Amino acid sequence: MVHFVNVTMAYGSHIVIDKLNLHVEEGQLVVLIGPSGCGKTTTLQLINRLIKPTEGDILVNRQNIKNVDPVELRRKVGYVIQEIGLFPHMTIKQNIEIVPRLLGWDEERKAARTEELIQLVNLDRKYLKRYPSELSGGQQQRIGLLRALAVEPPIILMDEPFGALDPITRESLQNEIVALQKRLKKTIVFVTHDMDEAIKIADRIVLMKDGKIVQAAASKELLSNPANEFVEQFIGRHRLYSGKADTVADVMSDEIVCAEKTLSLIEAVALMRHKKVPGLFVIDDTKKLQGKVSIEQIRKSELSEQDALETIGIEQICPAFENQSAREVFDRMEAEKIDALPVVDEANTVIGVVTRSSIVRSLAEVVWGNQS
Amino acid sequence: MSNILPAMLSHLRITFLGVLAAVILGLPTAAFLIRHDKLRKMLFIIVDAIQTVPSLAMLTFVMLIFGLNDTTVIVAIFLYSLFPVLRNTYVGLASVDKGTIRAGKGIGMTDLQIFSMIRFPLAAPMILTGIRLSIVSALGLATTGVFIGAGGLGMLIWRGIQTRNMGMMMSGAVPVFLLAILFEYVIGLFEKQLNKRQRRSIS
Amino acid sequence: MSSFLTELSRNSHAVLIAIGQHIGLSAVAILLGILVAVPVGVLLTYHTRAAKIVLGIFSVVNTIPSIVLLGFAMIFLGIGYIPATIVLFVYSLLPIMRGTYTGIKEVNPNALKAAKGMGMNRPQMLRLVQFPLAMPAIITGIRLSTIYIISWATLAAFIGGGGLGDLIWMGLQSYNFHLVLCGAVPVTILSLLVSFLLNHLIKRASRHKGKEVAT
Repeated sequence: MVHFVNVTMAYGSHIVIDKLNLHVEEGQLVVLIGPSGCGKTTTLQLINRLIKPTEGDILVNRQNIKNVDPVELRRKVGYVIQEIGLFPHMTIKQNIEIVPRLLGWDEERKAARTEELIQLVNLDRKYLKRYPSELSGGQQQRIGLLRALAVEPPIILMDEPFGALDPITRESLQNEIVALQKRLKKTIVFVTHDMDEAIKIADRIVLMKDGKIVQAAASKELLSNPANEFVEQFIGRHRLYSGKADTVADVMSDEIVCAEKTLSLIEAVALMRHKKVPGLFVIDDTKKLQGKVSIEQIRKSELSEQDALETIGIEQICPAFENQSAREVFDRMEAEKIDALPVVDEANTVIGVVTRSSIVRSLAEVVWGNQS
Repeated sequence: MSNILPAMLSHLRITFLGVLAAVILGLPTAAFLIRHDKLRKMLFIIVDAIQTVPSLAMLTFVMLIFGLNDTTVIVAIFLYSLFPVLRNTYVGLASVDKGTIRAGKGIGMTDLQIFSMIRFPLAAPMILTGIRLSIVSALGLATTGVFIGAGGLGMLIWRGIQTRNMGMMMSGAVPVFLLAILFEYVIGLFEKQLNKRQRRSIS
Repeated sequence: MSSFLTELSRNSHAVLIAIGQHIGLSAVAILLGILVAVPVGVLLTYHTRAAKIVLGIFSVVNTIPSIVLLGFAMIFLGIGYIPATIVLFVYSLLPIMRGTYTGIKEVNPNALKAAKGMGMNRPQMLRLVQFPLAMPAIITGIRLSTIYIISWATLAAFIGGGGLGDLIWMGLQSYNFHLVLCGAVPVTILSLLVSFLLNHLIKRASRHKGKEVAT
């Protein structure tokens, strides 16, 4: 769907993209990732010609974009950015309908499409008449996504779209994007610097450094076969799949449901309901573990729903440590009838969760191999 | 009493023509300056200096070219209005959030569409502020026009002062005052309305 | 041009006296203005509602055209230096008050929190934190006032305030345009000079902002 053929991009003598060759297949969600300055955003902006390459060719849908009017091209390629960039003077409806309007659709067609779109993300119709500033960041970015989807572009470019959102909203939007892509079969090129995000959503991860691709592979391949030291370091050792279940880091999952201690009780309850969990691990703003709260605790408390979690009296817990033996933790969870334990590193920063089922799954993988 | 209406109309005519000229010249110039930083800095120094010229001095300078009549006052108002119109329009147009512009470009807006659909509507409240400031101060300046022989409400005020006729003076002063309050209020209302619609976060 | 210069040299003595009077009149009005408006502006920051009312009243006063106010002064206070000074003083208050008020109000709350945290009392906070940070806004207000005052001092000539307005005034009445210029040119130069000087001060006071100041 998108081909980069020997693409070089340089500002003067400074080379940002160095003879890049990349093929994004139709229907794939490809994540471009790498340290800042690696050229991932530039690569993305080359696709909709916000930036022109110095050398080389880029083909979108088998057409060399050199020969396409950039304005025409951009209208056929969805674009979602970290700043969201909703037009503040237009209502949500007008924002969603902007590209159809640019393309001269009639009112009826626009309205029908908007209807489809809001059903796609279960957006309440009352929001249509509101202005962007009346929505939360997460809601705004949902609209940003709808705006990009409006004229059903086969390709969508996303530039750190969830980078400015809080962790909980980010996670729910990540889930949404995965679900949407499965249903709509869009080709998505997604830029992020967050490895967890990449692993979570990507069909294929393209790791870049200094304008070059270091490794491009499916997440699993990348985790089990990092091409070199740089890849290993960038992925983070705790995520690497070793095939053995020795330490907690090997068996933990990063799908932990955490809440900052300043979160209000009502939000905490909503989060538990959404995640279908009976309790939450509480962290502070630097992700240091504070303890846990349960739904009973909240229900029994006489605090108002706007009060912060920390006011309720957080229950201290002893976490699992990432380099602790998995066996030890498993034994403890069995003995104390614990379903889930947060995993922390040396600095008491929460990095994941072990559940009884995650341990069982890891053990099964060791015994029968990775079949998923 | 019968003098007031014609004087008021002539006062408004002088005020509007002056400000209108500044708007007609100022808007496209400000749009042009977005991409020309050096020129902008130079131009702003000049308009700022113009703004600094005392009103009576300005009127006499312009008078030397245009003579003792309304045109002189209109030109002076035009010169004074350049600063608020140009500055506010420029700031309004240039301070539109970069992400918003990038989003517009990214979804395939042409440069013209980015200007007409994003920059201009978002800058509209600021532009109105510039116009409001210009009109209110122009109403005052137009009264001073009487010194160089122009018409308007200043004539009534001046005659009243000279003859120590309080009523005559007030018959000129009150309309000027009310007009200033009216424009301040009405245009301010428009600005608020536009701002409310956008609810731009204060950065 | 040359006849203007002849006129100028012929009247050089009168022009110099007029410049002196003009500066004197403006300076007295502006100094009184600063003396009153800065403390009032500070006080207003402690009482937002009072601030709205006071600033509202003064912005209404400042929309009254200058010749009207001068007319009032002449009718009620008579002709001369004092009425002229009073009118100019009244006009000078709003910009300085508003500059002081918004300048102090817009001081970064984190800086205040830090100041409070290290145990400063209110006067110390005002002197060491709020005032220095508000200085650019205050001087901007003073600059605005000064420019108005220099301009309106020209008009004050007709109620006997003296100054460069006298020359313009006499010139206009006798259709002697060169005499008009003898007043208009110096007053313009004076205004530009003061504006330049105060702009420079504003820049110096706002070095902590690290960027170009909006005037």
